[in-house]
Amino acid sequence: MSQENENILEVQGLTKRFGGLAAVSEVDFKVRKGGIIGLIGPNGAGKTTIFNLVTGVYKVSEGTVNFEGKSITDLEPYSIADMGVTRTFQNIRLFKNLSVFDNVFTACHLSATYSLPEAILRLPRFRREEKLLKEKAQGLLEIVGLQDRADVVASNLPYGLQRRLEIVRALALDPRLLLLDEPAAGMNPDETEQLMRLIADVRDRFKLSVLVIEHHMDLVMRLCERIVVLNFGIKLAEGSPDDIRGDARVVEAYLGAPAPAGGK
Amino acid sequence: MDSYIQGIFMLAGINLMAVLGLSLLTGFTGLFSFGHAGFMAIGAYTAAIMTSMLKLPFIVGIVAAGFTAAIFAYLIGRMTLKLKGDYFCIATLGFGEAIRLILDNFQGLGGSRGWPGVPAHTSMLNIFIAVVIGVLFLSNLVRSRHGRNLIAVREEELAAQIAGINVVRYKTLALVVSAIYAGVAGAFLAHYMTFIQPKMFSLIKSTELTIIVIFGGLGSISGSVLGAVVLTFLPELLRAVDKWRLVAYGAAVILIMISRPRGLMGGMELTPNGIKKIIAERKAKKAAAQRSEP
Amino acid sequence: MTQFFQQVVNGLSIGSVYALMAVGYSLVYSIMNFSNFAHGGVIMLGAYFGFYAMTLLKLPFLASFAVAALGTALLAVAIERIAYRPLRMRKAPFLYFIISAMGASIFLENIVIATIGPTFRTYPEVFARTPLSLWGLSIGRLDLIMFGVSALCLSGLVAFIELTRTGKAIRAASYNIKAAALMGVNTDRVVTTVFALGGLLAGVAGVFFGMKYTVYPQIGVITLKSFIAAVFGGLGSLPGAVLGSVILGTLETFVAGYLSSQFRDLIAFVILIGVLVFKPSGIMGKPTEDKA
Ligand SMILES: Nc1ncnc2c1ncn2[C@@H]1O[C@H](COP(=O)(O)OP(=O)(O)OP(=O)(O)O)[C@@H](O)[C@H]1O
Ligand SMILES: [Mg+2]
Repeated sequence: MSQENENILEVQGLTKRFGGLAAVSEVDFKVRKGGIIGLIGPNGAGKTTIFNLVTGVYKVSEGTVNFEGKSITDLEPYSIADMGVTRTFQNIRLFKNLSVFDNVFTACHLSATYSLPEAILRLPRFRREEKLLKEKAQGLLEIVGLQDRADVVASNLPYGLQRRLEIVRALALDPRLLLLDEPAAGMNPDETEQLMRLIADVRDRFKLSVLVIEHHMDLVMRLCERIVVLNFGIKLAEGSPDDIRGDARVVEAYLGAPAPAGGK
Repeated sequence: MDSYIQGIFMLAGINLMAVLGLSLLTGFTGLFSFGHAGFMAIGAYTAAIMTSMLKLPFIVGIVAAGFTAAIFAYLIGRMTLKLKGDYFCIATLGFGEAIRLILDNFQGLGGSRGWPGVPAHTSMLNIFIAVVIGVLFLSNLVRSRHGRNLIAVREEELAAQIAGINVVRYKTLALVVSAIYAGVAGAFLAHYMTFIQPKMFSLIKSTELTIIVIFGGLGSISGSVLGAVVLTFLPELLRAVDKWRLVAYGAAVILIMISRPRGLMGGMELTPNGIKKIIAERKAKKAAAQRSEP
Repeated sequence: MTQFFQQVVNGLSIGSVYALMAVGYSLVYSIMNFSNFAHGGVIMLGAYFGFYAMTLLKLPFLASFAVAALGTALLAVAIERIAYRPLRMRKAPFLYFIISAMGASIFLENIVIATIGPTFRTYPEVFARTPLSLWGLSIGRLDLIMFGVSALCLSGLVAFIELTRTGKAIRAASYNIKAAALMGVNTDRVVTTVFALGGLLAGVAGVFFGMKYTVYPQIGVITLKSFIAAVFGGLGSLPGAVLGSVILGTLETFVAGYLSSQFRDLIAFVILIGVLVFKPSGIMGKPTEDKA
């Protein structure tokens, strides 16, 4: 019982096959409530695929995904998001032609309840909730320091800020579990440092649990309490940063040595 | 007003009605239809049945037209909106042509020779009222969380899903609403022409509607209004070169897509707020450019 | 029974022309993932090229064929350059490709109406109208030639794709165009080749169509049906396009023969609805999961 409540996400025997190819096979791991877990592995290891499975973008071939004790294995992405799991994308997917503000404003929609007729007739509930949504979006932008650029069209934002915007857009959904796919990709060391502080900060402020894919080893080692290592779709190792640093198999996988037994 | 000019105005209003719906579907939701003339046909024939055969008032005909078109749209949406890529376009194309072929062969409604003697109920006033309601409805819709969700679907479908938007449901909403507009436009058209014929609702009609939306600019209601008025009047004024009209349309569509894909007014509105927004975005862009310079 | 086989023969001959058209849609779809609606216009112009080559230039039959096919190949490549390439360069969304294709299709159809006019034109008679008698069936000479040449062209296409280096690049690109580009495949060349191939076949199909029926600008309904045949077979699959076309052609002649020719044009749409409801990926298409 207590065990169940401790873990916000439990993944068991997760497998995804594309045609004959298993991109992910029999992967198990858990995310503790409030924890920051790292997911690492060489290119093509299946990290993004796991995100796609957890968020419902791909249908699971085998295995289960439980969120807060409930199965989300076969749900549609929007209902998984509605339940409190959201993510960012490796290849940033913003609403490109919309302003920074509108990106966040749109994603706040789950905090409003007014219906279509109420919107068309501009009834009081519409006005009230719309005002709250605006304030919420504004507040979120301030937290990540994007308030000065609220009117900038998203695609005109510098790369590092686009990643930041994607994170706030995810936060607008009031998630309890946030999945970040290579949030520091393409950032300089300075930006990476700021990003790390931002992640730790929002985790505390929003009482989030975080699962993060990252190639910057330095960031992962300092940020995460536990790390799951994937290689060829198989879980290679799991443990604290220190365990992982010292694991011979992990070093081997990263240095591109022959695949370990069990891989293909 | 001269009755010729009045006629063109009414036609522009009817076109605008259909274009408004398509603007929601294509401009705001990013779905492309080859079959909206089919919804117009359904609206036109349904309304004509109500007023001409059953002798019911025009308003009943209009409501029935919108309702019937909505049902068809819902069924098509259920069938195809879950599918990826082209299949929705293909389905609308098949739908539009099938409706026309069925009407062509259905002698009870006049077949391909057409159906004369539909009462002339359409007037400057009732068109104007319908268009005003149509514009208000649409602009209130797009400036709400529901409208923003539609725009999110257009911008980036996967990100919309992940943001908790039920993409299929919102696409269906856009399709059904746009079909209602087309159905109502069909009803007005039938009672303006007083004669309907399947040929009036061909693929070319569907594409013309889409062209107007593109000219006006994807994601702009004022653009659609402008587009519908200009592109109804221009060909009337330029009767002499009428046969080159569609040639020019075709070339212009390609040109717009490769150079200014969002059309004349893409994403912008000619309203006080809309203009303010454009200015704010300009300023923000300038400020960003200055910031990035050392 | 004879009537049955007679219908099969007629169906195969019209089906083979559909196949020539349908393959062009599928080829482009397999590489670029959008339905190139301008292809219908290219086919229509193929019919005109052949017609004028025979009547104005007084070229012999085979030479006219070559002129039409080369003309449409060039036209198809030109359309790609003008209407699609800028969008490809910009990585524009799929919607823009479809709209651009629609623009091209409207342009082609109406420029013919504006210049040549909407009237029907009849090809000069190349083959005697008297049918051949084989096993008690009467087979039109033109039908036989249509079937033979179509089969030849399609085999040629298959050979090209299976055996040549460029063909290999096309297959790689149809599997995954981005990965193919990373592995050094020149995607611009692949796209150009694909449009040229589709254009060649469109020319052949256009001439046959013109010879069997007549030439007029609005043959859109026919090309639309060939497109539906491609959907039926599974968009992006060449064998599928051929199979879908042959089935559609045969069904149409059967319906026209046994029911009523009024319903003939509806068959395609009935099939379309069936496919969309029951198996959107068609007979031989592969269902895909979008990459996130
Ligand atoms: N939609 C798909 N169809 C076919 N194969 C896929 C699909 N998505 C992923 N794959 C395959 O699954 C494997 C794992 O891919 P994935 O994107 O999960 O790797 P990754 O660990 O995120 O790598 P990277 O560090 O490069 O982002 C790869 O071989 C990839 O080609
Ligand atoms: Mg990845």
